[in-house]
Amino acid sequence: MRAIAMGRGASVRAGWRRAAEAAVVLALRGATYAILLAAGFVFADIVWKGAPVVLRPTPPFVNVGFLTQAPQTLHVFEDGAGREVRLGERDFREFQARSGRAVAARSFAHAGGGIMPCIVGTVLLTLGSIAIALVLGILCAIYLSEYSRQGPFIRVVRLAIVNLAGVPSIVFGLFGFALFVLFFGWNVSLLAGWCTLAAMVLPVIITACEESLRSVPAGFREGALALGATRWQAIWTNVLPHALPGMLTSSILGITRVAGETAPIMFTAAYVIRDDLPWQGLGNAGEFFFQGVMALPYHIYYLSSKVPPNEYTRDARYGTVFVFLALVFAITLMSILLRARMRRSRPW
Amino acid sequence: MVSGGVGEMEAKETGLSRDAADDGVGEARADTIISVRGLDFFYGPIQALFDVSLDIPRNLVTAFIGPSGCGKTTLLRCFNRMNDLNEEARLVRGTIMIGGVDIHDAAVDPIELRKRVGMVFQRSNPFPKSIYENVAYGLRVGGLRDKGALDEVVERSLRNAALWDEVRDRLGDSAMALSGGQQQRLCIARAIAVEPDIILMDEPCSGLDPIATMKVEELIHDLKRRYTIVIVTHNMQQASRCSDRTAFFYLGRLVELGETMRVFTNPAHKQTEDYITGRFG
Amino acid sequence: MAADRHSDGVPPEGVTGADRFRVALGGCPRRRVLRLTLDAWVRTFFGGSAMVTILVLGLIMVFLFREGAGFLPEHHRSLTLYRRTGQEFVDAIRAPLADHQALNRYLGRVRASEVEGLRAAGMGEPDVREAMAAFDEFAARFRGAGQLLRDFADEAGGMALATRNASQAGETVDFVRGATALRALLPQAGVVLREFRETVEAVCAAAPAPRCDGSRRPWARFREMVGRLGASVSGAHERAMAWDPDRRVPIGESLAAFFWGRRWVTNSEWHDRYGLLPLLGGSFCISVVAIAIAVPFSVAAAIFVSQFASAAERNIVKPAIEFIAAIPSIVLGFFGITVLGSGIQWLSQQPWMSWVPFFPVSERLNILTAGLMLALMASPTIFTLAEDALDRVPRAFAEGSLALGATRLQTVIRMVVPAALSGIVAAILLGFGRVVGETMVVLLVAGNRLEIPDITLGMGVLFQPAHTMTGIIAQELGEVPRGGLHYRALFMVGVTLFALVLAINYAAERVVRRFRPARH
Repeated sequence: MRAIAMGRGASVRAGWRRAAEAAVVLALRGATYAILLAAGFVFADIVWKGAPVVLRPTPPFVNVGFLTQAPQTLHVFEDGAGREVRLGERDFREFQARSGRAVAARSFAHAGGGIMPCIVGTVLLTLGSIAIALVLGILCAIYLSEYSRQGPFIRVVRLAIVNLAGVPSIVFGLFGFALFVLFFGWNVSLLAGWCTLAAMVLPVIITACEESLRSVPAGFREGALALGATRWQAIWTNVLPHALPGMLTSSILGITRVAGETAPIMFTAAYVIRDDLPWQGLGNAGEFFFQGVMALPYHIYYLSSKVPPNEYTRDARYGTVFVFLALVFAITLMSILLRARMRRSRPW
Repeated sequence: MVSGGVGEMEAKETGLSRDAADDGVGEARADTIISVRGLDFFYGPIQALFDVSLDIPRNLVTAFIGPSGCGKTTLLRCFNRMNDLNEEARLVRGTIMIGGVDIHDAAVDPIELRKRVGMVFQRSNPFPKSIYENVAYGLRVGGLRDKGALDEVVERSLRNAALWDEVRDRLGDSAMALSGGQQQRLCIARAIAVEPDIILMDEPCSGLDPIATMKVEELIHDLKRRYTIVIVTHNMQQASRCSDRTAFFYLGRLVELGETMRVFTNPAHKQTEDYITGRFG
Repeated sequence: MAADRHSDGVPPEGVTGADRFRVALGGCPRRRVLRLTLDAWVRTFFGGSAMVTILVLGLIMVFLFREGAGFLPEHHRSLTLYRRTGQEFVDAIRAPLADHQALNRYLGRVRASEVEGLRAAGMGEPDVREAMAAFDEFAARFRGAGQLLRDFADEAGGMALATRNASQAGETVDFVRGATALRALLPQAGVVLREFRETVEAVCAAAPAPRCDGSRRPWARFREMVGRLGASVSGAHERAMAWDPDRRVPIGESLAAFFWGRRWVTNSEWHDRYGLLPLLGGSFCISVVAIAIAVPFSVAAAIFVSQFASAAERNIVKPAIEFIAAIPSIVLGFFGITVLGSGIQWLSQQPWMSWVPFFPVSERLNILTAGLMLALMASPTIFTLAEDALDRVPRAFAEGSLALGATRLQTVIRMVVPAALSGIVAAILLGFGRVVGETMVVLLVAGNRLEIPDITLGMGVLFQPAHTMTGIIAQELGEVPRGGLHYRALFMVGVTLFALVLAINYAAERVVRRFRPARH
């Protein structure tokens, strides 16, 4: 009886079933790769159109002008031979002075020159806010994980941290605008941007640091305390050295978040255009903190929404996006590699 | 081996000097170092210890035995106030006197207490530092900086922990590279480096193979001439091999305490007998 | 060696262990500063810096709510002024004109379908024009029917506006006189409204019926809507009569006008309106579209990666998808506005795509483009969380099922996915929360039209531009005067957004907690 049941009919049915299964698995795999394909398409489009703007086939291999100049108005005109010439503001003036006549040209705001002030601004904003967030975040995490005792207050604090981590970035922008820019009267400034961005990543950093502290085995603390170490001695000698790499690595993820955000700096730190670099034209050192800066993401926003899209503005747009994306991906990649290395070299 | 023999002799002598059928709570004697009276202990809402009273004499090995969750480790961790670190833990009633001092007195600093009362944990927990730094740790946090003195103490502690010959050439290596038994002996060396009076051992051999276990037991034997040792163990053979006195706990209560020999050969309580003959636990 | 052990550790003669203990514990060995040990100071220091952090996090909420709360009284003042100046009265009279306008637009659609029908019947271009002449004449007359009412409303509006402007300029205004003057117009308003209604009805009665089958349905709908215009007119008259400049505006109405307001009008000469619905509707539509697109892909990917992929494939695919999360949203917005928007429009204009309903699309930036970009953004979030949930299902479940002869797929569908369902639902909710709060993509790609998406169009809603809560804040905050009504309205939007996202995250957490299999 059994043998008959497992005979021909059954094997045909099994074959059908196997084919159906294969089809379903194929569909699942297709969906997986569809996501990657979509992202890959975005990525490829930006690299394809942006890389030629930034990179050069000959030494020094990068477009130095693009990376070292400020954004300028682009002038497009035809020279004597009927060829189309594109010149930035400065070169165009020189050209006019040389040719000794007014040249009829179409001009496109922000489409010429480079993006040096934006890069500088983004780097400054990122470093400053991460420094603030790291110091506060690490201290807070040490308190929460090593010193605090369970109680209603600590529960509320944890709840606040968890929930603030999910709050939209624009809400932080709103908050920073109300508190730092208006209430404290810092205006649109580096300092206001730092504090806003720091407040935004603070919950993320606290969570990451706490996790990293918790991953240090309890035995390290107990062992030290049982030998008569004070709590601080135990933390300083036996907890922090092992938690610190993890804290820093996780914080790099915070850096990508800070560097990539636009909404919080729109009203707190970013200028559409500023010719001076942050260290130029300062009356005193204090002014450094109270000046607005240009930033890559805000520049991209401006270029893609306020500058008419055409073939002349395309290079500036794609070049900026390419540089920005390269920057963010470099940081992300670094954090992933560091984390992988740290997992391998963990001593316990 | 020689010293082991002497230890046994000593144990017999001190044992004989005592009331043969004492149940743990006798008059506080001059050589009693830990004295517990009427201890009620809670973890949150759960009571872990019920009215425990016992005396632990100096320079002897006292073993705590009993099934899991009977409160023996809890009591052990009370002796150096490691339970302070547990937020749930509450000592509701009772006193613990060590050397005539109430350790919960406000004037007693738990940090100083822990320097006097060392502890070896169930899972060997060497720090991820060098062997040398592991042993020197307690002294360093105590404020000792003199390199010569440190060297001396490290060597003496490692010798006393019978580990010196195995690691003398690689004191700078990471302690994590040692074998399990070596790690546990390193933890003992670490504990004795700060010159405690009492060493608490929480199932020190639970994760070790028989040979490593034997070495640790020998070490316990050697150490008891200078330290009072309290050891929690699941292993009845171990208790009978290396302890002088044995306390049997059951469901948070001290059932029986007496000479190890007597407890194992002639237990006064039915529960003790059932446990040591393996009827439960 | 034995000698060595004996030599040390033995207490000096005459000193018992108990004495040593007393000496060690009784003294005051640790240095104290201001009666605290160093350790206590360190603890205080950390506690202090934690307090700073907590203070910052608390300030966020305080400031958000403080600025937002100021909206209510100010909005209330604005609404009170609106009533006292008689603008409310004028708007009541004007209301039917909006319906009339909508009817005019609809008439355009009826005409288009009629023309299409005639062409399909093989009519030449001149014939069509001739055939439509009667209809066009009717449409023109229909349009003209509103003129009288419009003139009247404009006149009354001018009076109300003069009162308002004077009041806003800080002059002392005699509201009573203005109100009396407006109320004197009431009988005339009744006449004008009745005339408007009669004209419209008369025009429609003489309307030429459509000839094609295709436009009969729209035509019937048009007639129906005209019928409703009558009700609208009488309602307008009633509201105009009920207008009482001295009646207090309840404070709750200030809130209701925000949450249920259907229009968001700022910097207007007439009266600013801060109604949340267009923004909420836009945010909601875009997020739903994004999630609807993202969920099938990312959940399928999570199932595939956690259950079917080989280790090698998983090690490549998983980090790759997680890497997508690192793409900053502004970059996706940039891609959406430069490539995707025009790409979809181009595609929709191709002749071979004309079978798709609602193609060709007229708006380059619309709900669908924003939804697509946000779907790409939400995918890694949903994927990661869902994959985690699937991974946490104990192996024993699956092994038990396999051991009973179930195939791998059956096991996954019947055993693993149901066990991980709560985690997957939570992942979707969290993805939704992230999408609702996203700013730059919608600001660039959604088209920013301040109207409630018209869901009566069915799938056509996908190709409408929309505005969002996040977008409006980003767009308008930079230009508003501090402390004004508009400024506070934006904070109210922020507070609403904050509450909404919190609610979604809370729901996600509840889902996870409620359905988590019991442990221990």
